[in-house]
Amino acid sequence: MVVNALGETQAPRARDADPDVALVIAAREEPRRFLALYDRYFDRVLGYVRLRVRDEATCEDVTSVVFTTALAQIGRFRGDGSFAGWLFQIARNAVRDVHRRPTLEPLPLDATRFEPDAEERFLAHERAARLHAEIGLLRAEQQHLLALRYGAGLGFNEIGELVGASPGTVRVRMHRIIEELRRRYPHDD
Amino acid sequence: MTTEELERDLEMLAAPREADELLRMAIRERVGEQMPVRRKRRQRPWIGVSWAGIAAAAIAAAVLAVGWPGGGSAGPSAADAAIVRHALQAMTAPANVIVHVKETGVQKGTPISVEWWQQTSPPHALRMIKKGVDQQGEAGNDGTTAYEYDAATNTVIETPSSSAPTLVDPIETVRDQLARGGAQVAGKATIDGTAVYKIELPTGAIAYFDTTDYRPTYIDNPQDDGSVVRTRVETYEELSTSPADEQLLSVTAQHPDARVHTRSAPVK
Repeated sequence: MVVNALGETQAPRARDADPDVALVIAAREEPRRFLALYDRYFDRVLGYVRLRVRDEATCEDVTSVVFTTALAQIGRFRGDGSFAGWLFQIARNAVRDVHRRPTLEPLPLDATRFEPDAEERFLAHERAARLHAEIGLLRAEQQHLLALRYGAGLGFNEIGELVGASPGTVRVRMHRIIEELRRRYPHDD
Repeated sequence: MTTEELERDLEMLAAPREADELLRMAIRERVGEQMPVRRKRRQRPWIGVSWAGIAAAAIAAAVLAVGWPGGGSAGPSAADAAIVRHALQAMTAPANVIVHVKETGVQKGTPISVEWWQQTSPPHALRMIKKGVDQQGEAGNDGTTAYEYDAATNTVIETPSSSAPTLVDPIETVRDQLARGGAQVAGKATIDGTAVYKIELPTGAIAYFDTTDYRPTYIDNPQDDGSVVRTRVETYEELSTSPADEQLLSVTAQHPDARVHTRSAPVK
Protein backbone atom coordinates (compact mmCIF):
# COMPACT_ATOMS: atom_id res chain seq x y z
CA MET A 1 0.00 0.00 0.00
CA VAL A 2 1.25 3.45 -0.84
CA VAL A 3 0.89 4.71 2.71
CA ASN A 4 3.14 1.99 4.02
CA ALA A 5 5.66 2.51 1.27
CA LEU A 6 6.18 6.12 2.25
CA GLY A 7 6.13 5.21 5.90
CA GLU A 8 8.89 2.66 5.46
CA THR A 9 11.23 5.24 4.03
CA GLN A 10 10.86 7.20 7.24
CA ALA A 11 10.66 4.38 9.72
CA PRO A 12 13.98 4.61 11.59
CA ARG A 13 13.08 7.64 13.67
CA ALA A 14 9.98 8.08 15.74
CA ARG A 15 9.78 11.75 14.80
CA ASP A 16 9.07 10.71 11.25
CA ALA A 17 5.75 9.12 12.11
CA ASP A 18 4.00 11.97 10.38
CA PRO A 19 0.29 11.91 11.19
CA ASP A 20 -0.41 13.73 7.92
CA VAL A 21 1.19 11.27 5.57
CA ALA A 22 -2.05 9.59 4.51
CA LEU A 23 -3.67 12.93 3.78
CA VAL A 24 -0.64 14.10 1.82
CA ILE A 25 -0.73 10.99 -0.35
CA ALA A 26 -4.45 11.40 -0.84
CA ALA A 27 -3.97 15.04 -1.83
CA ARG A 28 -1.37 14.09 -4.40
CA GLU A 29 -3.72 11.61 -5.97
CA GLU A 30 -6.78 13.80 -5.76
CA PRO A 31 -6.13 17.53 -5.22
CA ARG A 32 -9.52 18.03 -3.59
CA ARG A 33 -8.27 15.97 -0.67
CA PHE A 34 -5.88 18.80 0.12
CA LEU A 35 -8.83 20.47 1.79
CA ALA A 36 -8.54 18.03 4.67
CA LEU A 37 -5.01 19.30 5.28
CA TYR A 38 -6.28 22.84 4.90
CA ASP A 39 -8.93 22.26 7.55
CA ARG A 40 -6.40 20.71 9.88
CA TYR A 41 -3.90 23.54 9.65
CA PHE A 42 -5.88 26.68 8.89
CA ASP A 43 -6.12 27.90 12.50
CA ARG A 44 -2.48 27.22 13.26
CA VAL A 45 -1.16 28.86 10.12
CA LEU A 46 -3.38 31.90 10.61
CA GLY A 47 -2.22 32.17 14.23
CA TYR A 48 1.40 31.87 13.14
CA VAL A 49 0.96 34.65 10.61
CA ARG A 50 -0.94 36.89 13.02
CA LEU A 51 1.88 36.80 15.47
CA ARG A 52 4.34 37.96 12.84
CA VAL A 53 2.25 40.32 10.72
CA ARG A 54 0.39 43.21 12.24
CA ASP A 55 -2.06 44.15 9.51
CA GLU A 56 -5.08 41.86 9.48
CA ALA A 57 -5.73 42.14 5.74
CA THR A 58 -2.13 41.19 5.07
CA CYS A 59 -2.49 38.24 7.45
CA GLU A 60 -5.41 37.01 5.40
CA ASP A 61 -3.52 37.36 2.17
CA VAL A 62 -0.44 35.61 3.55
CA THR A 63 -2.51 32.74 4.91
CA SER A 64 -4.12 32.36 1.52
CA VAL A 65 -0.73 32.37 -0.17
CA VAL A 66 0.58 29.71 2.21
CA PHE A 67 -2.15 27.24 1.32
CA THR A 68 -2.27 27.93 -2.40
CA THR A 69 1.50 27.54 -2.50
CA ALA A 70 1.33 24.31 -0.52
CA LEU A 71 -1.31 22.97 -2.89
CA ALA A 72 0.76 23.88 -5.93
CA GLN A 73 3.94 22.41 -4.49
CA ILE A 74 2.67 19.35 -2.68
CA GLY A 75 3.99 17.12 -5.43
CA ARG A 76 7.47 18.23 -4.44
CA PHE A 77 7.02 17.35 -0.78
CA ARG A 78 9.19 14.27 -0.32
CA GLY A 79 8.37 13.35 3.23
CA ASP A 80 11.93 13.89 4.44
CA GLY A 81 10.45 15.86 7.30
CA SER A 82 6.91 16.34 8.50
CA PHE A 83 4.22 17.98 6.45
CA ALA A 84 3.72 20.47 9.28
CA GLY A 85 7.37 21.46 9.14
CA TRP A 86 7.16 21.89 5.39
CA LEU A 87 3.97 23.94 5.66
CA PHE A 88 5.33 26.25 8.33
CA GLN A 89 8.46 26.76 6.27
CA ILE A 90 6.21 27.99 3.48
CA ALA A 91 4.51 30.25 6.00
CA ARG A 92 7.86 31.51 7.20
CA ASN A 93 8.91 32.35 3.65
CA ALA A 94 5.61 34.05 2.91
CA VAL A 95 5.98 36.24 6.00
CA ARG A 96 9.53 37.04 5.03
CA ASP A 97 8.36 38.16 1.60
CA VAL A 98 5.82 40.47 3.21
CA HIS A 99 8.39 41.97 5.53
CA ARG A 100 10.59 42.70 2.56
CA ARG A 101 7.88 44.78 0.95
CA PRO A 102 7.67 48.40 2.01
CA THR A 103 4.13 48.84 3.26
CA LEU A 104 2.01 51.27 5.16
CA GLU A 105 0.20 49.35 7.84
CA PRO A 106 -3.32 50.53 8.53
CA LEU A 107 -4.86 50.38 11.96
CA PRO A 108 -5.77 46.79 12.83
CA LEU A 109 -9.36 47.63 13.63
CA ASP A 110 -10.52 44.06 13.28
CA ALA A 111 -8.20 42.97 16.03
CA THR A 112 -10.07 44.90 18.63
CA ARG A 113 -13.51 45.50 17.23
CA PHE A 114 -15.21 43.33 19.82
CA GLU A 115 -13.74 45.09 22.82
CA PRO A 116 -16.42 46.71 24.96
CA ASP A 117 -15.59 50.37 24.62
CA ALA A 118 -13.53 52.83 22.65
CA GLU A 119 -10.92 53.51 25.33
CA GLU A 120 -10.22 49.84 25.83
CA ARG A 121 -10.07 49.40 22.08
CA PHE A 122 -7.52 52.14 21.83
CA LEU A 123 -5.41 50.74 24.65
CA ALA A 124 -5.59 47.25 23.24
CA HIS A 125 -4.59 48.56 19.86
CA GLU A 126 -1.64 50.44 21.29
CA ARG A 127 -0.55 47.43 23.27
CA ALA A 128 -0.80 45.10 20.29
CA ALA A 129 1.07 47.56 18.10
CA ARG A 130 3.84 47.86 20.66
CA LEU A 131 4.19 44.14 21.05
CA HIS A 132 4.22 43.59 17.31
CA ALA A 133 6.92 46.23 17.01
CA GLU A 134 9.02 44.48 19.65
CA ILE A 135 8.56 41.12 17.97
CA GLY A 136 9.72 42.72 14.74
CA LEU A 137 13.01 43.60 16.40
CA LEU A 138 13.78 39.97 17.19
CA ARG A 139 15.92 37.95 14.85
CA ALA A 140 14.00 36.10 12.15
CA GLU A 141 14.71 32.72 13.76
CA GLN A 142 13.44 34.00 17.08
CA GLN A 143 10.28 35.34 15.47
CA HIS A 144 9.74 31.98 13.81
CA LEU A 145 10.06 30.10 17.10
CA LEU A 146 7.84 32.58 18.91
CA ALA A 147 5.14 32.32 16.25
CA LEU A 148 5.25 28.53 16.25
CA ARG A 149 4.75 28.54 20.01
CA TYR A 150 2.29 31.37 20.63
CA GLY A 151 0.76 31.78 17.18
CA ALA A 152 0.43 28.21 15.96
CA GLY A 153 0.15 26.91 19.52
CA LEU A 154 2.69 24.12 19.05
CA GLY A 155 4.37 22.34 21.94
CA PHE A 156 8.10 22.17 22.52
CA ASN A 157 8.25 18.63 21.14
CA GLU A 158 6.51 19.64 17.93
CA ILE A 159 8.64 22.74 17.47
CA GLY A 160 11.73 20.66 18.09
CA GLU A 161 10.75 18.31 15.30
CA LEU A 162 10.11 21.19 12.94
CA VAL A 163 13.38 23.01 13.57
CA GLY A 164 15.57 19.98 14.17
CA ALA A 165 16.32 20.61 17.84
CA SER A 166 15.55 18.77 21.04
CA PRO A 167 12.53 19.89 23.06
CA GLY A 168 14.88 20.97 25.83
CA THR A 169 16.85 23.17 23.46
CA VAL A 170 13.65 24.71 22.15
CA ARG A 171 12.51 25.38 25.71
CA VAL A 172 15.76 27.16 26.54
CA ARG A 173 15.67 29.22 23.36
CA MET A 174 12.08 30.17 24.01
CA HIS A 175 12.91 31.22 27.54
CA ARG A 176 15.61 33.53 26.24
CA ILE A 177 13.28 35.03 23.67
CA ILE A 178 10.58 35.65 26.25
CA GLU A 179 13.07 37.22 28.64
CA GLU A 180 14.39 39.46 25.89
CA LEU A 181 10.88 40.53 24.98
CA ARG A 182 9.87 40.97 28.58
CA ARG A 183 12.73 43.36 29.25
CA ARG A 184 11.80 45.54 26.29
CA TYR A 185 8.03 45.35 26.46
CA PRO A 186 6.77 47.24 29.50
CA HIS A 187 3.46 46.83 31.19
CA ASP A 188 0.93 49.34 29.91
CA ASP A 189 0.65 51.37 33.07
CA MET B 1 5.52 42.62 33.46
CA THR B 2 5.50 38.95 34.33
CA THR B 3 6.23 36.14 31.93
CA GLU B 4 2.62 35.02 32.24
CA GLU B 5 1.35 38.47 31.28
CA LEU B 6 3.63 38.59 28.27
CA GLU B 7 2.58 35.12 27.19
CA ARG B 8 -1.05 36.15 27.52
CA ASP B 9 -0.45 39.18 25.31
CA LEU B 10 1.33 37.06 22.73
CA GLU B 11 -1.53 34.63 22.62
CA MET B 12 -3.96 37.51 22.25
CA LEU B 13 -2.17 38.68 19.12
CA ALA B 14 -2.90 35.37 17.46
CA ALA B 15 -6.27 34.74 19.08
CA PRO B 16 -9.10 33.63 16.80
CA ARG B 17 -11.52 36.35 15.69
CA GLU B 18 -15.21 36.05 15.14
CA ALA B 19 -14.78 36.55 11.40
CA ASP B 20 -12.38 33.63 11.11
CA GLU B 21 -14.99 31.18 9.91
CA LEU B 22 -15.83 33.46 7.03
CA LEU B 23 -12.16 33.83 6.27
CA ARG B 24 -11.67 30.08 6.49
CA MET B 25 -14.38 29.53 3.93
CA ALA B 26 -13.16 32.31 1.65
CA ILE B 27 -9.62 30.97 1.52
CA ARG B 28 -10.98 27.45 1.19
CA GLU B 29 -12.77 28.57 -1.95
CA ARG B 30 -9.66 30.21 -3.27
CA VAL B 31 -7.63 27.06 -2.66
CA GLY B 32 -10.36 25.09 -4.41
CA GLU B 33 -10.12 27.34 -7.41
CA GLN B 34 -6.41 26.58 -7.68
CA MET B 35 -6.86 22.85 -7.82
CA PRO B 36 -5.67 21.23 -11.04
CA VAL B 37 -7.82 18.85 -12.97
CA ARG B 38 -6.98 15.25 -12.27
CA ARG B 39 -4.57 13.86 -14.81
CA LYS B 40 -5.13 10.14 -14.80
CA ARG B 41 -8.86 10.04 -15.19
CA ARG B 42 -11.40 11.54 -17.48
CA GLN B 43 -12.09 15.13 -16.67
CA ARG B 44 -15.13 14.94 -14.48
CA PRO B 45 -15.91 17.58 -11.89
CA TRP B 46 -15.98 15.97 -8.49
CA ILE B 47 -18.93 18.02 -7.47
CA GLY B 48 -20.93 16.47 -10.27
CA VAL B 49 -20.39 12.97 -8.95
CA SER B 50 -22.70 11.52 -6.36
CA TRP B 51 -21.19 10.24 -3.15
CA ALA B 52 -22.72 6.89 -3.93
CA GLY B 53 -20.75 6.72 -7.15
CA ILE B 54 -17.51 7.67 -5.46
CA ALA B 55 -18.14 5.19 -2.70
CA ALA B 56 -18.89 2.31 -5.02
CA ALA B 57 -15.71 2.82 -6.99
CA ALA B 58 -13.63 3.37 -3.90
CA ILE B 59 -14.98 0.32 -2.12
CA ALA B 60 -13.97 -1.84 -5.03
CA ALA B 61 -10.50 -0.32 -5.01
CA ALA B 62 -10.22 -0.70 -1.26
CA VAL B 63 -11.17 -4.34 -1.23
CA LEU B 64 -8.69 -5.09 -3.97
CA ALA B 65 -5.78 -2.97 -2.85
CA VAL B 66 -5.63 -2.68 0.89
CA GLY B 67 -3.26 -4.74 2.94
CA TRP B 68 -5.03 -5.99 6.04
CA PRO B 69 -3.00 -7.12 9.03
CA GLY B 70 -3.17 -10.80 9.65
CA GLY B 71 -4.92 -11.35 6.39
CA GLY B 72 -1.93 -12.44 4.36
CA SER B 73 -2.11 -11.86 0.67
CA ALA B 74 -5.76 -12.75 0.60
CA GLY B 75 -6.76 -9.34 2.00
CA PRO B 76 -9.38 -8.65 4.61
CA SER B 77 -11.91 -11.17 5.71
CA ALA B 78 -15.20 -10.99 3.91
CA ALA B 79 -16.87 -10.05 7.18
CA ASP B 80 -14.53 -7.12 7.81
CA ALA B 81 -14.84 -5.91 4.24
CA ALA B 82 -18.60 -6.03 4.58
CA ILE B 83 -18.48 -3.97 7.78
CA VAL B 84 -16.41 -1.28 6.08
CA ARG B 85 -18.70 -1.36 3.07
CA HIS B 86 -21.84 -1.02 5.18
CA ALA B 87 -20.32 1.77 7.27
CA LEU B 88 -19.38 3.68 4.17
CA GLN B 89 -22.80 3.21 2.63
CA ALA B 90 -24.46 4.41 5.82
CA MET B 91 -22.64 7.74 5.63
CA THR B 92 -22.78 8.20 1.87
CA ALA B 93 -25.74 10.30 0.84
CA PRO B 94 -27.33 10.27 -2.59
CA ALA B 95 -27.58 13.32 -4.83
CA ASN B 96 -30.26 15.92 -4.32
CA VAL B 97 -30.58 15.69 -0.57
CA ILE B 98 -29.33 17.76 2.34
CA VAL B 99 -26.91 16.10 4.72
CA HIS B 100 -27.25 17.13 8.34
CA VAL B 101 -24.38 16.26 10.68
CA LYS B 102 -23.91 17.26 14.30
CA GLU B 103 -20.78 16.39 16.24
CA THR B 104 -20.16 17.19 19.89
CA GLY B 105 -17.27 16.63 22.26
CA VAL B 106 -15.12 18.11 24.98
CA GLN B 107 -11.77 19.74 24.36
CA LYS B 108 -9.63 21.26 27.07
CA GLY B 109 -12.59 20.86 29.38
CA THR B 110 -14.84 22.90 27.16
CA PRO B 111 -17.83 21.50 25.26
CA ILE B 112 -17.35 21.80 21.51
CA SER B 113 -19.73 21.15 18.68
CA VAL B 114 -20.23 21.61 15.00
CA GLU B 115 -23.51 21.30 13.18
CA TRP B 116 -23.57 21.27 9.41
CA TRP B 117 -26.17 21.23 6.67
CA GLN B 118 -25.11 20.88 3.03
CA GLN B 119 -26.66 20.01 -0.31
CA THR B 120 -25.20 16.93 -1.94
CA SER B 121 -25.78 18.42 -5.39
CA PRO B 122 -24.56 21.72 -6.83
CA PRO B 123 -24.28 24.42 -5.71
CA HIS B 124 -23.64 22.52 -2.47
CA ALA B 125 -25.08 25.34 -0.39
CA LEU B 126 -24.18 24.93 3.25
CA ARG B 127 -24.71 26.38 6.69
CA MET B 128 -22.70 25.54 9.79
CA ILE B 129 -22.75 26.37 13.46
CA LYS B 130 -19.52 25.93 15.36
CA LYS B 131 -18.91 26.17 19.08
CA GLY B 132 -15.29 25.67 20.03
CA VAL B 133 -12.78 26.31 22.76
CA ASP B 134 -11.73 29.65 21.34
CA GLN B 135 -14.44 30.53 18.92
CA GLN B 136 -18.01 30.07 17.96
CA GLY B 137 -20.08 31.26 15.11
CA GLU B 138 -22.49 30.57 12.33
CA ALA B 139 -21.68 30.85 8.65
CA GLY B 140 -23.01 29.76 5.30
CA ASN B 141 -22.48 29.87 1.58
CA ASP B 142 -25.01 29.47 -1.21
CA GLY B 143 -22.53 29.39 -4.06
CA THR B 144 -22.68 33.07 -4.86
CA THR B 145 -22.61 34.67 -1.43
CA ALA B 146 -20.91 33.82 1.85
CA TYR B 147 -22.79 34.61 5.04
CA GLU B 148 -21.63 35.08 8.60
CA TYR B 149 -23.88 35.71 11.55
CA ASP B 150 -22.66 38.07 14.26
CA ALA B 151 -24.73 37.23 17.31
CA ALA B 152 -23.41 40.18 19.30
CA THR B 153 -25.00 42.65 16.93
CA ASN B 154 -27.63 40.37 15.40
CA THR B 155 -26.15 41.06 11.99
CA VAL B 156 -25.75 38.84 8.96
CA ILE B 157 -22.66 39.83 7.02
CA GLU B 158 -22.83 39.03 3.33
CA THR B 159 -19.72 38.76 1.18
CA PRO B 160 -19.66 37.96 -2.53
CA SER B 161 -18.35 34.47 -3.16
CA SER B 162 -16.52 33.70 -6.35
CA SER B 163 -17.19 29.98 -6.41
CA ALA B 164 -19.49 27.37 -4.96
CA PRO B 165 -18.38 25.47 -1.87
CA THR B 166 -17.08 21.96 -2.17
CA LEU B 167 -18.93 19.05 -0.72
CA VAL B 168 -17.08 18.37 2.51
CA ASP B 169 -18.96 17.87 5.74
CA PRO B 170 -17.42 17.34 9.21
CA ILE B 171 -17.13 13.57 8.73
CA GLU B 172 -15.68 13.78 5.25
CA THR B 173 -12.29 12.60 6.46
CA VAL B 174 -13.81 9.43 7.91
CA ARG B 175 -15.77 8.84 4.72
CA ASP B 176 -12.67 9.42 2.65
CA GLN B 177 -10.53 7.07 4.69
CA LEU B 178 -13.11 4.31 4.51
CA ALA B 179 -13.46 4.76 0.78
CA ARG B 180 -9.77 4.78 0.01
CA GLY B 181 -8.91 1.64 1.87
CA GLY B 182 -6.50 1.15 4.70
CA ALA B 183 -9.23 1.26 7.31
CA GLN B 184 -9.04 -1.74 9.61
CA VAL B 185 -11.86 -3.29 11.56
CA ALA B 186 -10.57 -3.67 15.11
CA GLY B 187 -13.48 -5.51 16.63
CA LYS B 188 -16.52 -4.49 18.58
CA ALA B 189 -16.92 -2.24 21.59
CA THR B 190 -19.68 -0.85 23.74
CA ILE B 191 -19.89 2.91 24.24
CA ASP B 192 -22.59 4.41 26.40
CA GLY B 193 -24.50 1.17 26.17
CA THR B 194 -24.40 1.04 22.39
CA ALA B 195 -22.69 -1.82 20.59
CA VAL B 196 -20.36 -0.43 17.94
CA TYR B 197 -17.84 -1.60 15.39
CA LYS B 198 -14.40 -0.11 15.93
CA ILE B 199 -12.61 0.86 12.73
CA GLU B 200 -9.07 2.24 12.75
CA LEU B 201 -8.32 4.80 10.05
CA PRO B 202 -4.95 5.48 8.41
CA THR B 203 -4.98 9.01 9.84
CA GLY B 204 -4.74 7.55 13.34
CA ALA B 205 -8.33 8.34 14.17
CA ILE B 206 -10.75 5.64 15.26
CA ALA B 207 -14.34 5.68 14.10
CA TYR B 208 -17.16 3.75 15.72
CA PHE B 209 -20.29 2.60 13.93
CA ASP B 210 -23.55 1.32 15.33
CA THR B 211 -23.74 -2.44 14.83
CA THR B 212 -27.42 -2.30 13.96
CA ASP B 213 -27.52 0.32 11.22
CA TYR B 214 -23.82 1.14 10.69
CA ARG B 215 -24.36 4.84 11.34
CA PRO B 216 -21.28 6.68 12.64
CA THR B 217 -21.51 7.23 16.39
CA TYR B 218 -18.14 8.34 17.77
CA ILE B 219 -14.76 9.44 16.45
CA ASP B 220 -11.55 9.39 18.48
CA ASN B 221 -9.25 12.10 17.18
CA PRO B 222 -5.60 11.97 18.31
CA GLN B 223 -4.20 15.38 19.19
CA ASP B 224 -0.73 16.72 18.72
CA ASP B 225 -0.07 16.55 22.46
CA GLY B 226 -0.79 12.83 22.56
CA SER B 227 -4.26 13.14 24.00
CA VAL B 228 -7.39 11.91 22.26
CA VAL B 229 -10.54 13.97 21.81
CA ARG B 230 -13.65 11.88 21.39
CA THR B 231 -16.47 13.45 19.43
CA ARG B 232 -19.94 12.03 19.31
CA VAL B 233 -21.80 12.04 16.03
CA GLU B 234 -25.12 13.00 17.51
CA THR B 235 -26.82 13.37 14.16
CA TYR B 236 -26.19 12.01 10.72
CA GLU B 237 -29.27 12.24 8.55
CA GLU B 238 -30.32 12.94 5.02
CA LEU B 239 -33.04 15.54 4.58
CA SER B 240 -35.20 16.31 1.60
CA THR B 241 -34.82 19.47 -0.41
CA SER B 242 -38.26 20.69 0.51
CA PRO B 243 -38.62 24.44 1.03
CA ALA B 244 -38.73 23.86 4.77
CA ASP B 245 -35.51 21.86 4.78
CA GLU B 246 -33.81 24.31 2.43
CA GLN B 247 -34.41 27.00 5.02
CA LEU B 248 -31.86 25.15 7.13
CA LEU B 249 -29.21 26.10 4.57
CA SER B 250 -29.87 29.80 4.85
CA VAL B 251 -28.27 31.98 7.48
CA THR B 252 -30.66 34.81 6.76
CA ALA B 253 -33.67 32.51 6.99
CA GLN B 254 -32.54 31.37 10.42
CA HIS B 255 -32.17 34.96 11.59
CA PRO B 256 -35.02 36.76 9.85
CA ASP B 257 -34.82 39.77 12.18
CA ALA B 258 -31.09 40.30 11.76
CA ARG B 259 -29.63 43.35 10.11
CA VAL B 260 -27.91 42.47 6.84
CA HIS B 261 -24.60 44.11 6.07
CA THR B 262 -22.93 43.63 2.69
CA ARG B 263 -19.22 43.99 2.30
CA SER B 264 -16.56 43.22 -0.27
CA ALA B 265 -14.71 39.90 -0.26
CA PRO B 266 -11.94 39.69 2.39
CA VAL B 267 -9.56 37.86 0.09
CA LYS B 268 -8.53 39.62 -3.05
